[in-house]
Order: sequence, then structure tokens, then C-alpha cells
Amino acid sequence: MLKSPNTVSKAKFWIIIAFVVAAHSVLAYRFFQLQILEYELYSKRAESNRIRAMSIPAPRGLILDRHGEIIVDNYPTYILFGIGVEIRDKEKNFAVISRTTGIDTSILKKNYKNYYRNRFLPTILAKDLTISQLSRLEEAKNDLSGIIYKQYPERIYNPKIRASHVLGYLKEIDHDMIQKKVSLGDYEFGDLIGWTGLEQEYEPTLRGEKGVTYYQVDAYGREAGKLEGQKDILPHLGKNIVTTLDISVQQMLETEFKGKSGVGIVSHPETGGILAYVSAPDYKPDLFTGLISNADWKTVIADSNRPLLNRVSNGTYPPGSIFKMVVAAELLEKDLFSPQEEVFCSGSYEFYDRTFGCWNEYGHGKTDLEQAIVQSCDVYFYHMIQKVKLNDLAAMAKQFGFGLETHLDLPAEMKGRMPNRQFMNKLYGRWGWAQGALLNMAIGQGEILVTPLQMVAYTNLLATRGNAPKLHLVQPHDSNIKKPNIRPSTWRLIQKYMRNIVTHPKGTGRRSDPKIPGLKIFGKTGTSENPHGEPHAWYIAYGEKDGEMISVVIMIENGGSGGEVAAPFARKVFNQYFGKSPPKLAKS
Amino acid sequence: MFLNFKNKIVESPFSILLSVMGLLTLGLLTLYSITVTQGQVPPNAFSKQLIFLMPAALSMVAMQITSKRLIHKYIFVVYGIIIIAVLLPFAGQKIAGTYRWINLGLPFGLQPSEIAKWVIVITMARYLSDHTLQMKNFGSNIVPLIIVLIPTFIVLRQPDLGTALVIMTPVIPMLFWVGSRPYHLFLIVAPLFSILAAFNVLVFSFWAGIMAIVIFFARPKLWHAIGLYFGNIFLGLIFPFMWNTLRPYQQNRILTLLNPELDPLGAGYQIIQSKTALGSGGLMGKGWGQGTQTHLKFLPVQESDFIVSVIGEELGFLALLIMLVLFFWLIIKMVRLALNASDRFSGLIIIGIATTFLAHVFVNCAMTSGMIPVKGLPLPFVSYGGSFLLSSFMMIGLVMNFGREELD
Repeated sequence: MLKSPNTVSKAKFWIIIAFVVAAHSVLAYRFFQLQILEYELYSKRAESNRIRAMSIPAPRGLILDRHGEIIVDNYPTYILFGIGVEIRDKEKNFAVISRTTGIDTSILKKNYKNYYRNRFLPTILAKDLTISQLSRLEEAKNDLSGIIYKQYPERIYNPKIRASHVLGYLKEIDHDMIQKKVSLGDYEFGDLIGWTGLEQEYEPTLRGEKGVTYYQVDAYGREAGKLEGQKDILPHLGKNIVTTLDISVQQMLETEFKGKSGVGIVSHPETGGILAYVSAPDYKPDLFTGLISNADWKTVIADSNRPLLNRVSNGTYPPGSIFKMVVAAELLEKDLFSPQEEVFCSGSYEFYDRTFGCWNEYGHGKTDLEQAIVQSCDVYFYHMIQKVKLNDLAAMAKQFGFGLETHLDLPAEMKGRMPNRQFMNKLYGRWGWAQGALLNMAIGQGEILVTPLQMVAYTNLLATRGNAPKLHLVQPHDSNIKKPNIRPSTWRLIQKYMRNIVTHPKGTGRRSDPKIPGLKIFGKTGTSENPHGEPHAWYIAYGEKDGEMISVVIMIENGGSGGEVAAPFARKVFNQYFGKSPPKLAKS
Repeated sequence: MFLNFKNKIVESPFSILLSVMGLLTLGLLTLYSITVTQGQVPPNAFSKQLIFLMPAALSMVAMQITSKRLIHKYIFVVYGIIIIAVLLPFAGQKIAGTYRWINLGLPFGLQPSEIAKWVIVITMARYLSDHTLQMKNFGSNIVPLIIVLIPTFIVLRQPDLGTALVIMTPVIPMLFWVGSRPYHLFLIVAPLFSILAAFNVLVFSFWAGIMAIVIFFARPKLWHAIGLYFGNIFLGLIFPFMWNTLRPYQQNRILTLLNPELDPLGAGYQIIQSKTALGSGGLMGKGWGQGTQTHLKFLPVQESDFIVSVIGEELGFLALLIMLVLFFWLIIKMVRLALNASDRFSGLIIIGIATTFLAHVFVNCAMTSGMIPVKGLPLPFVSYGGSFLLSSFMMIGLVMNFGREELD
């Protein structure tokens, strides 16, 4: 068992010994260096009583609009700290602070407990101190020990716009978050982290890197210069991000949406850049900065109009008639009919034992595809959809982005719903649904749900004949373009119809035309029935003038008729954008 | 039976206990200075350490008289148990941010990774002392590496980088001791160097050159040499790329683990304070119980991980030098015992334990003096800490057992 002989050469023994000698010599030399050679430096340091490590804040990067105008900026605020080891009498110190600044001692105590990391590090006691509070504190300095204040940058927003759903807000790291989210990396209590919107999406870019400075502190707690022999760690500023937003367009659209619930998005189909992004109602972007009052918070939370919901990317709605171009594309691509073929619309359509109504109860009379789209005749589509297989329709809709993410560079986006056979079977059972469901889908009702953002991508595809790059505010998550596989003739026809919607005297989109010479507008209205009351009013459009193009998507929740309610919003956008001469710099 | 045990004890190489006594005295003096002279009433670190000495001494004797054959026979089973024990804390709650301790409802927690240190050494010794093993083959190095890497990774996840380092250290000296080819040892450590060197083009080129020379002179088969060389180069090239695919916070987490200076408000601050305490001690120190830095409590865990800075501040450079001499003497004695051990198994155990102690001393002192950025490793016999004291004395017991002349 233990019979393996221990045959070790002397050389090996000496090599091991050499290692042991080397290790001990290195240590002995290091102690010699610190204690004998550098004795002066360290004994001086030790005399200065204390060393204070203080982090140097790194201002976050700014958020700019496409013309370089600042949307989100930083401004200096003052934060009050207490250092555990240096505070001689906590109760007394807190009482003095409370007396001079008017901040309640219970808040000071709560903060001290909340932000405490160890006795040596400055712990946050209060934020957003005013200059007058500071000067009164300064006067009472002799009664304080271990209490210091430092400047910290905080977010401030351009007063012209809110854009709160795009910008998002910052949240402070606290004990709760540390416990819930383990992977906070190098964040500490009291640090701010982008919590939603662009602030979250571009956190690594916007966030700077804090620095650290070391001070010597004398017996009275005064900073007595830098710590000798110890270099500061300099902060790295956060980087700015330039968005595709246009403050003036955003501002105009926000004003129009005041008091309404709905969505308005303006973008460049040829670049995918978003100029304006309004989800109404919204909240003030500075709601979450500084000391948010409980009352403010409660009104926002309790608001039945749900201002915190980002309707653009997280609200899902039936698209209504704006879906009809998908049906038309499927009919045209598969050569399932002749576009000249006419269907008689009497205002309603009998399908087995069910009656499907047209929005125009008096009927459109004889309609071909062009008239069916221009006047948004439902009966025509009830008839024609019966030539289409549900899975083919779903596949075509997918090509236009229905049921798919748009990859816009904002966190958390809903995918909506584009049903196919499998989905319907799962939802209703194999025999639980019938062809009638398809009739509803033909006019963008039934099981189809979309986000307004998807409709922006859809509009841009129509505007560019499938060549639209992905939507973005800075740059898209995924820039791979999947071009819809559609013939040029089909594109041409659909665009022609969309143009007629605006120009034809009976066209449902005629109210969207500001009648600016040279400006060609293409649109489609939608009036989507829903269980929550009045129908949602939709209008999607794009306008072109002198080689410049923008697209507009408007949706007014429970607003009524798309042509009457939503289209005028688009007119205002087109009017502002193209009306003033010369047109704005558009290429980004 | 009893006489047999008595003989075992009497015949043990007691001389190594002398330096242990010296170190223990130094540790207790220091603990007394930072507790009792500070008016800390028992139970404090000093009194607890005194109490821990009893079970520590008993377990040393137990290790000293346990039959070598028994140890040889059952060590693989013990290894299996200790792996499970090291995993156990993960099932419980985090204590002080790590999964290091097992809570048995006792007034103190148990740290299975401390016992693991010597169990792993004996397990490797058991495998390597098999006389049919051909150390000339590279394959013979693989099993010891596996034996050591399993617990290392678990301990690293606790996370406890210091202990993981100490657990890893003995494998190379033990392989070297038992006759592994230096070229093979080079191959084992090469990937690590390739990864580390990859962050600097100049260093990496230099390293590539060294590798080329070593591989050339070792004269392996051609395809073998090419595979090794380019495998390492490839590893070095791919690593920065893989590193960049990590998210910044993940990178930061790894970096802070390796280099606490990156957390300048936390561990970085501690190292500055530790250096200040050490340096201000000078040649003779400020006097026992007189350390200003120590007594203002600038240093956290000064009774365990940072005890060297207390000694340095209060007793000065000379005391630290004496301390180093005591450690040096202890370790040299062990290496001598290993050389003269009656069989390969015993020799390997002693060399493994000697290098474990050496790693402890080096990492702890280098950390306290700000040379290497690792956090949290105590100093044997000097630092306060129950599990570690127990484990250290067990290792001394093992050395005395396996360092004895006769073969039972």
C-alpha cells in the first residue's frame, strides 16, 4: 500500500527551497519598502487623522434631437452626506441639520439607514439642497461633525416637450433593488440607473464612470488637501446620444393631443428615423427626478387614462380598414381576381346565417378594388376574402410586420397578434370557428391586434415599396431588412389607391390634405370597432414633396371615424412640416 | 493500543511545533492588543481564539495518531464527502455575501472549504503515490488537476478567490515533487499565461516567443508541437474577443473579483488604510496597544485578514521580519521532512501542506501590503478564526504523523 518509495532528488529539494526563500524575501522586501523606505510618507498620512474617500460624479450623457437641440440636460444639485466614523453625536448633528435646513430628522435617519454602506464612506442624508439651505448649514458648521455636502448632477428636461415615453426616467438604486436584482454589476446605493425608455436602452452609453478622490481630514473634520502619494481616479463623462426626434414636430403633436388619449408618430420612411413619438396621455418627465412627492405619484398611478402606458409600443388595437392594403396585396399577388371585377355593395352582406354590415349602411353600389379602397367599402372585402386562405393572409401580413417586433430601440415592445389556422384552432378548438372569422379579419377586425408602432413600420413599407429600413430613435436593435416579396405592379396599384383616398372627392382621407402645392399625400383611414365604446380612429399616411418624405400614423382611442377625427391631425403635421418654406433638413 | 498512540506522539517530529508556538503567541498578543486593551469585554476575538485552541490541539493530536493506512484507504471517500460539504452552503443562506459557511445551529459557522484544503492534498497524494503510475506520461497529470479543479471552481463560486488560490497552489509543486516532466508542468500553466498575456500585444508576443523556445527544446512530435503552440495562441487571441461579448457589468464583476482596487470606495480604501497602518509603524512600531490607525478602527477585519497591518503598526518591521523567519523555518522544516519521508505518499502530503501554508503566508502578506489585489485570506496561526485554526492544526498534526520515521 504505502510501498511506493520516496525517491526525490536533492536538486528538487533545493528548487522548492529556492521558491520558499524567494517568496519570503519578496515579502520581507515589501515590508522593508513600506516601513523603512516610505516610512515618512505613511507616518505623515497617519498623523492626518483620517482619510476620506469621496466619489466624483460623472454627469450622464445628454439626449439631443436631430438638430442638436438638447432634450435632456443635467443641472447641479447638492447632496448632504454624513460619514459614520466622523459623526460624533448623531442625534445632535441631525437636530442641527433639521433646524437649519428644515428637513425632518426622521427623513435624515431614514436616508442614513437606507444608504449606509460602511462607517468610512459618506452616506447620503438629503438631496436637492438649495443654496440658502447650504449657507445656513455653513453657518452652523461648528456644531456639526462628519457632515459634508457635494455637488451632484441631476436630470432636467427641455420645457418645450414631454416625450416622457421615449425618454424614460432614472431610478435610484436602493436596498430593495439590490435584493431583487442580483446582477447590478458595479452600481451602488444611491446611483441612478436608466429605468425605462432611452435612458434604459442607452444606459451603457449615457452613464459615465464615477471617479474617486482621497482627502486628508484634520481633527476638526476639515478637508486638509489631497492624500499624498495616492492618485485620484478621474471620472469618465457619459456620452451624448443624438436621436432622430425633431423637437418642433414633437411639440406640435403633443399640443394637438392635449386632453386626448391616443398616439401620433411621425417618421422618415427612407431612413426609419422617428421624428415625433407621442403617446397621450403622458406624464411630466421630471416626475421621477429628485424627491417625487407621494401625492404626485398617486395621481399618476390612479389616473384611469393610464398615463404610464406607452400606447405606441405597448398598446394593442384592432387595425380596422388600414389592414385592407394587406388583403389587396394578397389578392393581387396571387392573381385571385381581377382588380376591375365589381361587387355590389348594398350596405350589408349575407354570409350563411350571418349578416355583415358595411360602415356605410346606404351602400357603395358597384365597387371595384380601387373604389373599395378609396371609399373603404367593407362588403367588397367580405366577398373577396373568401378567395383567400387564412394562412396565406397571415403570411402576407407578416411580410408587412404584423405580429412581429419592429426592433425599435426602446425596451419592451408588444408584438400584437396576427392569427393563423393553428392559432384559431388553439383559441377556439378545431371546429369552434368558421369562415366568418375571416370576413372580420378582411376589414382588420376580429382577432387581429396591432401596436401603433407596427403600423408605422407598415406605412413606411408602403411608402417605400418595401425598402424601408428598421425604425429607430438612435439606431435599431436589428437592422436586417426583410423586404416583402411583392411585385412592382402590386406596389404601384396600392400606392395609386392610397393617393386616391386623399384626392378623390369621396376619398375617406381627403381631410388630411393641407393642399400645399407639390405635396402629394397617400393615406388610409381606419375606424376600428372595439368593446370599449366608440371605435378607435386610425389614419396612416405618407406625404412627399420635392423628394422629401415623411409618414404619419395617428390613432385616437375611442375617437370615432378615422377620416373625420384622425386625418385632420395628419393634415396639421404635413402642414407644419411642408408648409413653411424652405422645408426642414430632413436627411439625417 | 494506548502505548502505540503514545509512541506515535513521542516519535513525532516536534520541532515544527516550536515555530507554530511562536506564531500563535504573536497572534494572541496582537489579538489582545486590539480587543482587551481596547476595553472589549469577552467574548471577544482574543478569548474566542483561546477557546478555539482546545479543539484545535485535540484535532492536531487526532490527526497525529490516525493510522496512515486508514487515511490511505478511505481518502477518496472523504474527498467525496468534502465536495458535498463545500456545496452545502449553497443550499443555505448567504452569510456576509458569500456561500462559505454551514450553519449547524452552533454559535459559530463551519467553513468546509478550510478542511477541503488538506483533504485535496491527501487525495492527490494518494493518486500520485500509486507505484504503477508513469509520471513520464502527460496523462498522469490530468487526474490530479481534476481533483483540484472541482473544489476550486465550487469555492470560486462562493465566491472566495483567496481560498480558491490556496486550494489550487499545491498541485504544481506536488506534480513536480513526484516526477512530472517540467515540460508537462509548463503545458499545464501555459493556457493561463496565454489568457493573461493576451491583454497586451507586447507581452503576448514575448510569451509567444517563450512558448516557441520551450516547445522547441522539449522536442515533442511535430503535429503535437504545432497543435500546442497554435492552440495557446488561439486561446490568447479568442479570449479578448470573448471578453468583449460580455456585458460591461459582467466584466466589472469579474474585474472587481480579481482586482478590488476597482472598487475604490470599498476594498481599495481598505488597502490604502492597511498600507498607511503598516508604513507608519516603521522599524520598531508604535508600541503594543498604541497603534493609532488600528485603534481608530480604520481597518475592517483587522483581527483576521488584516492582522499583519496591526502587527506592522504596533510592533514594527522587526516583528514582521521575525514572523517571516518563523514561517520560513516552519515551511523549510516541512520540506526537509518531505525529503526524508519514508514513502512517496507521506512525502507528497507534507509537500502539499507546506505549499498550502506558503500560499497562505504569501497571499495574505502581499494583500495586506497592497502588492496583489486579492481580498480575504487569513494568516495561519496568527489570524483570528475558528475553522481556519482547526484546519491549520490538523495540517500540523498530519505533517507530524507522516513525517515520522517508522511505517505502521
